[in-house]
Amino acid sequence: MKYPLTREQHLELYYYMRLNRQLEEQMVRLFRQNKIIGGLYSSSGQEAISVGTAYALEKRDWVAPMIRNLGALLVKGFRPRDIFTQHMARYTSPTKGKDGTSHFGSLKEHHVVAPISMLGDLIPVMTGVAMAGRYLGQEIVALTWIGDGGSSTGAFHEGMGLAASQRAPLVCVIENNQWAYSTPVSRQVPVRNLVERAKAYGVAGYIVDGNDANAVYQTTKEAVERCRAGHGPVIIEAKTHRMKGHAQHDAAEYVPKEMVEYWKARDPIARYERFLTQNKLWNAKIKEEIDTRIEKEIREDQEFAENSPFPPPELAEEGVYCEGPLPNEAEWLRPIEEVMPPKAGAKPAWTVKDFGGLEHPTPEVVAESSSDGTAAAAQKAERASKRTKKVAKARAAALSRGRR
Amino acid sequence: MAQVTFLEAIRQALFEEMERDPTVICLGEDIGVYGGAFKVTQGLLERFGWERVIETPIAETAIIGAACGMSYLGLRPVAEMQFIDFIGCCFNQITNFVAKSNYRWGAPVPMVVRGPSGGGVHGGPFHSANPEAYFVHTPGLKVVYPSTPYDAKGLLKSAIRDNNPVLFFEHKFLYRRIKEEIPDGDYTVPLGKAIVRREGRDLTIVTYAAMMHTSLEAAELLSKEGVEAEVIDLRTLLPLDRETIVQSVRKTNKLMVVHEDTKTGGMAGEIAAVVCEDAFEDLDGPILRVTSLDTPVPYAPSLEERFLPSVNDVVRTARELAKY
Amino acid sequence: MPIEVIMPQMGESIFEGTITKWLKKPGDRVERDEPLFEISTDKVDAEIPAPSSGVLKEIKIGEGQTVPIQTVVAVIDADGAVTTAPPAPAKPAAPAAPAPAAAPPKTAAPVIPAPTAVPPAPVRPTGEKIRSSPLVRRMAREHNVDLATVPGTGAGGRISKKDIQVVIERGGARPAMAPAPSVPGAPGTQAHVVLENAVPREKIYFGRYEVQPMTTMRQRIAEHMVISKRVSPHVYSIEEVDMTNIVAVREKLRGEFERKHETKLTFMPFFVRACVEGLRAFPTVNASVDGNNVVLHRDINMGFAVALEWGLIVPVIKGAEEKNFLGIQRAINDLAERARTKKLKPEEVQESTFAITNPGVFGGLMGLPVINQPNVAILGLGAIQKRPVVINDAIAIRSMVYLTLSYDHRVVDGAVSHQFLGRVKHILENWDENIL
Repeated sequence: MKYPLTREQHLELYYYMRLNRQLEEQMVRLFRQNKIIGGLYSSSGQEAISVGTAYALEKRDWVAPMIRNLGALLVKGFRPRDIFTQHMARYTSPTKGKDGTSHFGSLKEHHVVAPISMLGDLIPVMTGVAMAGRYLGQEIVALTWIGDGGSSTGAFHEGMGLAASQRAPLVCVIENNQWAYSTPVSRQVPVRNLVERAKAYGVAGYIVDGNDANAVYQTTKEAVERCRAGHGPVIIEAKTHRMKGHAQHDAAEYVPKEMVEYWKARDPIARYERFLTQNKLWNAKIKEEIDTRIEKEIREDQEFAENSPFPPPELAEEGVYCEGPLPNEAEWLRPIEEVMPPKAGAKPAWTVKDFGGLEHPTPEVVAESSSDGTAAAAQKAERASKRTKKVAKARAAALSRGRR
Repeated sequence: MAQVTFLEAIRQALFEEMERDPTVICLGEDIGVYGGAFKVTQGLLERFGWERVIETPIAETAIIGAACGMSYLGLRPVAEMQFIDFIGCCFNQITNFVAKSNYRWGAPVPMVVRGPSGGGVHGGPFHSANPEAYFVHTPGLKVVYPSTPYDAKGLLKSAIRDNNPVLFFEHKFLYRRIKEEIPDGDYTVPLGKAIVRREGRDLTIVTYAAMMHTSLEAAELLSKEGVEAEVIDLRTLLPLDRETIVQSVRKTNKLMVVHEDTKTGGMAGEIAAVVCEDAFEDLDGPILRVTSLDTPVPYAPSLEERFLPSVNDVVRTARELAKY
Repeated sequence: MPIEVIMPQMGESIFEGTITKWLKKPGDRVERDEPLFEISTDKVDAEIPAPSSGVLKEIKIGEGQTVPIQTVVAVIDADGAVTTAPPAPAKPAAPAAPAPAAAPPKTAAPVIPAPTAVPPAPVRPTGEKIRSSPLVRRMAREHNVDLATVPGTGAGGRISKKDIQVVIERGGARPAMAPAPSVPGAPGTQAHVVLENAVPREKIYFGRYEVQPMTTMRQRIAEHMVISKRVSPHVYSIEEVDMTNIVAVREKLRGEFERKHETKLTFMPFFVRACVEGLRAFPTVNASVDGNNVVLHRDINMGFAVALEWGLIVPVIKGAEEKNFLGIQRAINDLAERARTKKLKPEEVQESTFAITNPGVFGGLMGLPVINQPNVAILGLGAIQKRPVVINDAIAIRSMVYLTLSYDHRVVDGAVSHQFLGRVKHILENWDENIL
């Protein structure tokens, strides 16, 4: 491993993944007892991604979780009680009951940006966070996640475009869990590896087995270091599978049974347990300690949440505007003179190195439409390519005739 | 004191705020070397450099989203929409991410979205928008629409210093046509306060932006007929200065609203409802509206002229109201 | 302590669920979070865990049943104390959450002024609505100006602010008028006819005068008279009746009658009995009109007018055709007495089918009474006077009375009215009933 972890760190990774899973399982029970209202999402099977990526960040770095990144929130420092109270709409929740599910954040303490329900919008926002952090000299990295489905949105595209053109220190983790609600990824995008888009944006791209927590950690750590060093944004595609439905109300019967079995055998937590055992990083006693600790935390925090009051009705009228000072004043970690005149300032003129023309005969096929796997389609593409080359040849000939 | 155009006043505000506060940053399309499509940001790059005058790709959602993210770290970004019409492209970011941020999770967004708006310049349907109604209807935002150079400068400064997201519409018809002497040095105009531009006792005209000037013109003509109109310039549309409007209605007992936005669902309806709530017993006549037609903005000058409210439209409606 | 187990909501658009299987039965021990029952919904089937530990006390909804969400499906006898959400705090306390507290709302709802009691829209004497504006009405209220008296020079005759200001400024030069007529009748009573003036109000007040507001009874009488005349085209038939015989009968039997029956003997029952016969013979006169229907009443409810110090009332003898002379007399005396002492019941002044009035009791040759709605006729009795009449070409002194039948010419024609009167006359002039 390029970035070796201590035993404690390995155990911590495991602890967070287990806490993630058990917390969510408990929330399912609470949902079925009608104590959690609205909708409930789960990251079952994807814990290694949330935990592994977040674990590779430093405390000063910023994240923006999506609905299946509860594990990252735990790594960042939120407690199960925060998750419980959010889902149970209690006054003690991080949003005082104003919003639900994973729509909460923390500007000063945990550096977490709260998501909205629309997908892709976090990419430009985290690009802004990354740019601001750089501007203030904070040397932070902004990291967010997006699903295979969410990466179809315009917001994703615009955000990556801006991040790339600004070389923003942004890490975007595409969690390809094979399903966007009920749509398999092949129907969303005719590209097998979504990370191929990195090339289109001119940014670095990594691909990793999302159910291997160690691999996820290593990959993210490398990506984060690149960003921090100023090499621009990184897209990491983590392959995984959504083991449950889109939400509690979705039984996901559209997922073929064989696919579920395939991925069940690759469950991230079971895998990590085997890793810990094989590398003698733990024993039965340590496992039991972790189990007990998790069970106690969940039980105590659930009790706290259940004993918490609902927000008072008057709260509905409050908070539309910020009436007082900013809670998050800018933290300057570089001399302000650098961004003020006379030190700041640039010549308002362009230096254009590449005038942009093509120096060789056209047309040139640089990309083929992706085949859908059948031989017929592949042959069709082959014939089209031959035709294009034939036309090009004839045109070149005509051109040279005309010149004479 | 110096005579400056509407556009100049806005540029001065940007300059002075960026000078005063290193957290103020501009982002938008072509705002750097080119100085902006209307040259509002000319000179900023030279003075403050690439880190503070950020040229973006054509990606309105990304512009607004990035500005929002920057706000979370305590910066005060000023995002430009090259034409305010393009605000439609980032409607989701503004109304769902930015506007709801403080209410939901206590994270204020101290950013400004500014751009050239309004018609009368043969811009056609996509370069002449008055989009205030969509955003006045969105809790969490503030909407500002000045009509004079003095106000434009003072209000933009206030908008930048405000800890909430402010949409700042600059009526492009006024950019170079309106000149005014403004004082040297730092001054601000508070958000949320309307101003009486002309005192009168027979009827009240509530208006803003370019139509403020049209209304003043109409008031002069009406005066010759013995009708003295009081003209109120709203300046800020959200939050609305109900108090000033109501006080005027208590005095004149007659109200009409003049705006360039289309009629249905526009500010005039909102103001009429407010006055019915707060001052019904002071009304001696119906509340009338003078607005553009309920159509997209047409291109041909003859069509656009018909579309926009004219001085005559204002005078005619005022005469009707005066008869009551 | 009993804990209710409810049907959960498994998704935002799901509103009911079906219990497919109970995994425990009443009396079984259950542990918290242990699967307790299975459900099926539109979107998903699920295993539902028990909300607390204890003994399953009762199953309320059985397998196969579908119930709305939140329905109590079972009850668990829980062990020990169970946590429930405490009520929301009365004042928002500062929580330990990292989110910054928001300041009190700037955008509080604006104060909407409490609705002031708005008087009903004023009406000009011609019945036309007065057009003004909220401002003008308020000024009128504040300065006690009657808008009906303010000339309007605004568009379409509206009273503008200018117009009312003129009136207010003139102030004391106006004569004090009674307050503007309000719509009579308190809220909750039947709609009444609005009493109109025939001339503008200014023309009524001149010189010295005293204003007396009408009593409710007087208002009702006034309204009734106006509407009766307006609705029924009144035509009058007059007949002269020789009452000599009846006068003699009365003279002769009065003492014995009053002794025997302990009630006064008047002329009224003679007329009532005669009318009853007349109405039996000519049922059209005992009718009402409903639009273009004639409602022939089968009962004869005889109303008779009683003059009171403070007005006029018409008590009704119900079922007069079933009463004999004595019965009629008793009814008349009783109702009249109670009319004067204000002891009549509401049903005793309702549902008449015909009426008799006696203007002659005050002197006066004859009267032309107003029909008591919804009847179609009323008989007016003049005074019984001795007059010289011609009988068999000789002059005789007889007790005579003029009878006037006012009738509604929508349904009663002249011929019928004369026939009716003729009948009544005949009975009266040939009185043969034993009154004792």
